[in-house]
Amino acid sequence: MSTTERAPFFDEAFLRRLEQLELASRRMTAGRMKGERRSVRRGQSVEFADYRNYAAGDDLRQLDWNAYARLEKLVVKLFVEEEDVTVHVLVDASRSMDYGQPNKLDAARRAAAALGYLGLASMDRVSVAFLGDGEATGMRPMRGKRRALELFRFLAEPRSERLTGLAAAARSYAGRLRGTGPLILISDLMDPGYLDALRDLAGTRCQLSVLHLLAPDELEPEVAPDVRLVDNETGHAVEVSGDDDLVDRYRTRLAEWQAEIAAFVSRRGGAYVAVPSDLEVADLLFDVLRRRRVVE
Amino acid sequence: MIAPLALIGLVSLPIIVAFYMLRLRRRDVPVGSTFLWQQLIRDVEANAPWQRLRFSWLLLLQLLIAAIVVLAAARPFNAVDSDLAANVVLIVDTSASMATRTDDEDRMALARERARDVVERLPVGGRVTVVAAADSAEVVVSETDDADAALEAIDGIEATQLPGDLTDAFALASALARRDSDSTVVVVTDAAGDRLPDLGIGAPVLVERVGATDANQAIAALSALRRAGGAQLDLFVAVVNPSAVDATRRLEIYADGSLVDARDLAIPAGQRSEALVSTVPGSARVIEARLAGADALVTDDRAFAIAPPEVTSRALLVGSGSAYLENALALLPRLELYAVDEDGYVDALADAAESGPPYGLLVFDGIVPDSAPTIPALYIDPDADGTFGAVAARITNPVIARVDPEEPILRFVDLSTVHVGRTREVVLSDGMREVVSTSGGNPMIAVGEEGGRRIGLIGFDLGESDLPLQVAFPLLMSNLVDYLLPATDGILPSSLRLGESISVAVDPRIDRIALETIGTAGFPGAGTEALEVPVVGGRATIPGAELVGLREIRARSEIAELDDISLGQTAVNLFSADESDVRPDDPQRIVEMGRVSQSEGPSTQPTRAEWWWPLALVALALLLVEWMLFHRLTRRSIRRAMGPRPQPFGGRPR
Repeated sequence: MSTTERAPFFDEAFLRRLEQLELASRRMTAGRMKGERRSVRRGQSVEFADYRNYAAGDDLRQLDWNAYARLEKLVVKLFVEEEDVTVHVLVDASRSMDYGQPNKLDAARRAAAALGYLGLASMDRVSVAFLGDGEATGMRPMRGKRRALELFRFLAEPRSERLTGLAAAARSYAGRLRGTGPLILISDLMDPGYLDALRDLAGTRCQLSVLHLLAPDELEPEVAPDVRLVDNETGHAVEVSGDDDLVDRYRTRLAEWQAEIAAFVSRRGGAYVAVPSDLEVADLLFDVLRRRRVVE
Repeated sequence: MIAPLALIGLVSLPIIVAFYMLRLRRRDVPVGSTFLWQQLIRDVEANAPWQRLRFSWLLLLQLLIAAIVVLAAARPFNAVDSDLAANVVLIVDTSASMATRTDDEDRMALARERARDVVERLPVGGRVTVVAAADSAEVVVSETDDADAALEAIDGIEATQLPGDLTDAFALASALARRDSDSTVVVVTDAAGDRLPDLGIGAPVLVERVGATDANQAIAALSALRRAGGAQLDLFVAVVNPSAVDATRRLEIYADGSLVDARDLAIPAGQRSEALVSTVPGSARVIEARLAGADALVTDDRAFAIAPPEVTSRALLVGSGSAYLENALALLPRLELYAVDEDGYVDALADAAESGPPYGLLVFDGIVPDSAPTIPALYIDPDADGTFGAVAARITNPVIARVDPEEPILRFVDLSTVHVGRTREVVLSDGMREVVSTSGGNPMIAVGEEGGRRIGLIGFDLGESDLPLQVAFPLLMSNLVDYLLPATDGILPSSLRLGESISVAVDPRIDRIALETIGTAGFPGAGTEALEVPVVGGRATIPGAELVGLREIRARSEIAELDDISLGQTAVNLFSADESDVRPDDPQRIVEMGRVSQSEGPSTQPTRAEWWWPLALVALALLLVEWMLFHRLTRRSIRRAMGPRPQPFGGRPR
């Protein structure tokens, strides 16, 4: 990446390391634009399939100037054989994510930046959105490393979302989603509608990967005697008297919950990755996600 | 249990349990989401203000403490035998000697403590009457079976400045004992010189004697005499040392608040030292003698005197001439003395009637005039009958009988070392009273009134006694002259003893007289005493003062010029050898007041031995344990809450 502006998330060396990776796409079918992704189907012909509106970052060579002359509208031509996938990265921006040491939302932003950059570096279309207050707020799909700074800026923007409304936000995004490609949801899933959300996202033609992000003290809680736990997102309070028995039961319930999500996602061909927020993004990308074949 | 109502406090036990079941006000801890916690808690706790009661050592200890405190408040007891009857009259001596206080001894506090012991020893259902006794008796609580009320009353008893006289208290006790045959009289006293009644009472008397020290010296007499001419006052001071060791005390004399004399007096043990002070200016009004330093009793370390007024009367001494008598009379500032022999008596009276002021007093030494004088007269060794009575043969070597210490004629006069060779045998007339008599009852000194005139009598020849050689002689003559010639500008004597009441003649137009006694700062119960008494038929009875200090009398009248005018001032002093002798005495004479045979004494009665205090000790110990346990738990909680890294759940990482 060549830019005079400093990237908000990573240094140049790390970005160069990232460029060695690319997102895996096990469910890739026909793309609509010539891309650089290796496809499981390697066709030889160059068969025109359709037009679609020009998006920033599209290869200008694919513009149909004749159509522009007739319609005064920039459109690009789509072909059948060559894959052109969109990488979808969804970040849960609810208040429950704005918590923890390290902060879960910050960790999610970094992970989304890294994954988005992988997509840009692979010349895939990248669509990034924040989920919050029942809506998905994203930026226009983009392509190419030159858009990385724009991506990073978008991810670094302060968020004002309070509630997740995860199911509604996911349904909203899934309804607008076209095409195929990896779909990565980064969330703590602490929302009553988490299963509905996963169901909607898995129901698309995209390859769903769930990065289940939890803070270390959500994974290993230590509760003082007689405290009132106040929900960062809803303000709802729960009174507990911390003892070893209660913590043990919490751990058990957490494990059951994670297993339930993993099974749900797995049944729908997706990948589930539990991610503590104190996990370094390099470890996440080069170790955890590579082992889970989310990246290659 | 004495106070079973206190068991109502047991309702505190379920209240404590309820507090434990009530949800605590917990510390808020922010978490990202309670999503998982809600699922977890829903299974075990209902969202109610109560929670399941869990075992807690703190709860157990608090319940135990509350139960013990309630039990102690109910004042449990068990029955033990008591030496007291069912009806107890508890007399607490509050006379001046009970104010004895040294570094090691607070006699009144000891007395209160003993009195409390007596109340706590009362048999079951017993009643107690508490009487505070100084010169009279005051019932502070009457026939109560409420031990708390009696103890409270005892706590309020304080020593007075008054001389001790248990006559009233025993009269009261006797009346109470007559009403209930099962009675005991308990006297808490130092037995130091209190007067006792002549008759005993029909109940056994127990004495709780308090006190030990005798380290006290006292001003026993203070008298101011105005020297002829009035320019100078002569002060007579006597200091006694009733203790068992010799003492040297510094005597300070103040005139109207200014120090005018100071000297050291050595007073042998059990003796008395006297001092004549001639440095007091004649203009002084209030004179004070003070023993510097501290001893066991402060009430007798200061004494006051009002300087006598400058009034002189002409006195005619008729006789063959006695140098001692002439000197003694000439020294009296109130008298302007003239002397004649028996033959010149009639002429002298005639001369005075014609050319000079009349005589105010006649003194007959060894003779009796043919005609009774019409002015006050003092007869010494009369050789014939007179208005005083009839005389007969002389009695040889008479023994002076015990004298009344309250007799004003003998104020400051010590006759214990006086010897008389012979005295006249006298039969007093109706208006006369004995002041000093022989052991056989023959009057030796007497005073009285006859035909509206005052008369004095000394029944022996001064030349046949050693009285003129002693300090007592001028004092006796001064007192006799004071009696024969009452002060004309004031109605009060210059000094009174505490508790001494007098009757005074005042202008009949005065309705009432107001008395105000300003006590001496630093004395027990010091303050100001004020009261008014009515004037009846031109006379008023002034009750005895209860405070050492200065007493002023003012008139209250409907007539403006008589209203609020001063009628005089007097000094009030303790001057009680008995009270100043603070050494506790043998209480046997008080015990013997209970004239009842042993068989008639009270049988042993059951009484209550309370054991609330060991319960209170146990409660205190448990409270300490509970406190330590609470802090231990709190420290542990704080340690857990203050982990090395900030933890939103307030815990330390495992």
